[in-house]
Amino acid sequence: MTNLKIKNLTVTVNNKEILKDFNLEIRPGEIHVIMGPNGTGKSTLTKIIMGDPNYKIVKGEIYYGDTLINDLAVYERARLGIFLGMQMPMEIEGVSNADFLRTALRSKNENFKLYSFIKELDKTVTDLKMGKDMIHRGINEGFSGGERKKNEILQMHILKPSFVMLDEIDSGLDVDSLKIVGESVMDYFNEEKPAILLVTHYQRLLDYIKPDFVHVMADGKIIKSADASLVKVIEEEGFDKIKKSSTSVIKENE
Amino acid sequence: MNKIIIVNDEITEKDLDNSISVTYSGNEFLSEIKIDILSDTDLTINYISTEETKLHLCFNILEGVKCNLFEIKNGLKYKLGYIYNLDKDSKINICKINDINIIKEQLIFNLNGEFAETNYLLKTISDKKEKYDLMVYHNASKTISNIINNGVNVLDGKLSFVVSGFVPNGKVDCVLDQKNRIINLTNKKCEIKPNLFIDENDVIANHSAHIGKCNEEEMFYLMSRGIEPKEAENLIIRGFLLNGLKQGQNEMENIINKYWR
Ligand SMILES: Nc1ncnc2c1ncn2[C@@H]1O[C@H](COP(=O)(O)OP(=O)(O)OP(=O)(O)O)[C@@H](O)[C@H]1O
Ligand SMILES: [Mg+2]
Repeated sequence: MTNLKIKNLTVTVNNKEILKDFNLEIRPGEIHVIMGPNGTGKSTLTKIIMGDPNYKIVKGEIYYGDTLINDLAVYERARLGIFLGMQMPMEIEGVSNADFLRTALRSKNENFKLYSFIKELDKTVTDLKMGKDMIHRGINEGFSGGERKKNEILQMHILKPSFVMLDEIDSGLDVDSLKIVGESVMDYFNEEKPAILLVTHYQRLLDYIKPDFVHVMADGKIIKSADASLVKVIEEEGFDKIKKSSTSVIKENE
Repeated sequence: MNKIIIVNDEITEKDLDNSISVTYSGNEFLSEIKIDILSDTDLTINYISTEETKLHLCFNILEGVKCNLFEIKNGLKYKLGYIYNLDKDSKINICKINDINIIKEQLIFNLNGEFAETNYLLKTISDKKEKYDLMVYHNASKTISNIINNGVNVLDGKLSFVVSGFVPNGKVDCVLDQKNRIINLTNKKCEIKPNLFIDENDVIANHSAHIGKCNEEEMFYLMSRGIEPKEAENLIIRGFLLNGLKQGQNEMENIINKYWR
């Protein structure tokens, strides 16, 4: 089993401590949601797992299965099956989506088949109700906020990761797109049984994606974990109240 | 399709319809080619140099005429002077691909009549020494210039873009846009000098200048999908050089493949 396991992780950016003694374990087939106030380090968590060089681990370990990934390069982590759908996906001029995905797929898969790639790309673009021309446009070039998010989901389907992180995939989506994206993620979950880590601010995404665990993060730590019912408590009471009532991590993963 | 081939400083081939008139004048010191654009047209010019080449070219785009000019240069060493004179309501779209060792280009744009417009795009891979000096004179109101210089600096390359825009007082509603970017893959020095000499308040002017390695965030994005650093760099450079080319993609690809593959 390929679990993602984070042990006592402390992370800094520009010498500022963002994650503090952070612990979390996610197993294949589980969906975890992280919620929490702006600036508490949710995106930082996803970036450090992906290996963004701007973030430094000062203490602790990240394991993917038996592999300690602390010092692995970004592309090596991706090849282990780790995927990050980003909060603000980059625009890269001139590099077409199709070329990019073909290159990515070829580099991780020796028996790459062009025909089945094109077929799958075509089907996924249709399912996500993206414009057909988007495949041939530059990566996110001139894409709207919502289109960029769909493009992240498209990449997930094509690259077939075993550990999926989606950072605010719902922001920028209209109600119809939210449904399409939510259901698309669930389809992928049912087909591939990956582990999923969602970061979101809103309950509405969870109308489609049903989490097994909900964590509240504040000041670089998980301060409360429970099942999906916690989302309702958060919506009703806000983070401040949870912050006051919680003392430390409730859910024990060992 | 109108086409001119220039080998060193001489026109060796010419296939033109009556929208273009070309006259050649020259003495032992300098060759000069005058190209008049008489009606809407497309023109391709291929330059080949086998020796050190010095040449002046003067384009006159007549009133109301639109021209798409595509230029591709191969060879060793050039010293080139260009003058583009644009009459009222005329427009020239210039797209250039340079594949040469050493070059010094000086370009002067005279936007002489109202609504004259030029859109200029250069793509180059610099591996020895390249210097481009552009001067854009907005001599009439409501004139438009969009200048884009894109270069990738490799090996022993030294690349320089100097772009100056001029708007005198009283020439109102002009639009100036310049975007200069160099991806420098060496430790050699490259330079971009954008200058705006604007003596009029009623104008829209933008410029951006950027020199650096490949953008780190772009690299992170590509690598996060399993692409190795070297390959990510190749994708970004390829995209940068092909972006915006409406013509000459194949030629550009061939040049890129000489350096990366
Ligand atoms: N590259 C960086 N440089 C400087 N500071 C950073 C950087 N990345 C993150 N930070 C800081 O780290 C803190 C946590 O940021 P992070 O993006 O992880 O928050 P977040 O929980 O995702 O917030 P949001 O809900 O607004 O997306 C913030 O104070 C942020 O300003
Ligand atoms: Mg965030």
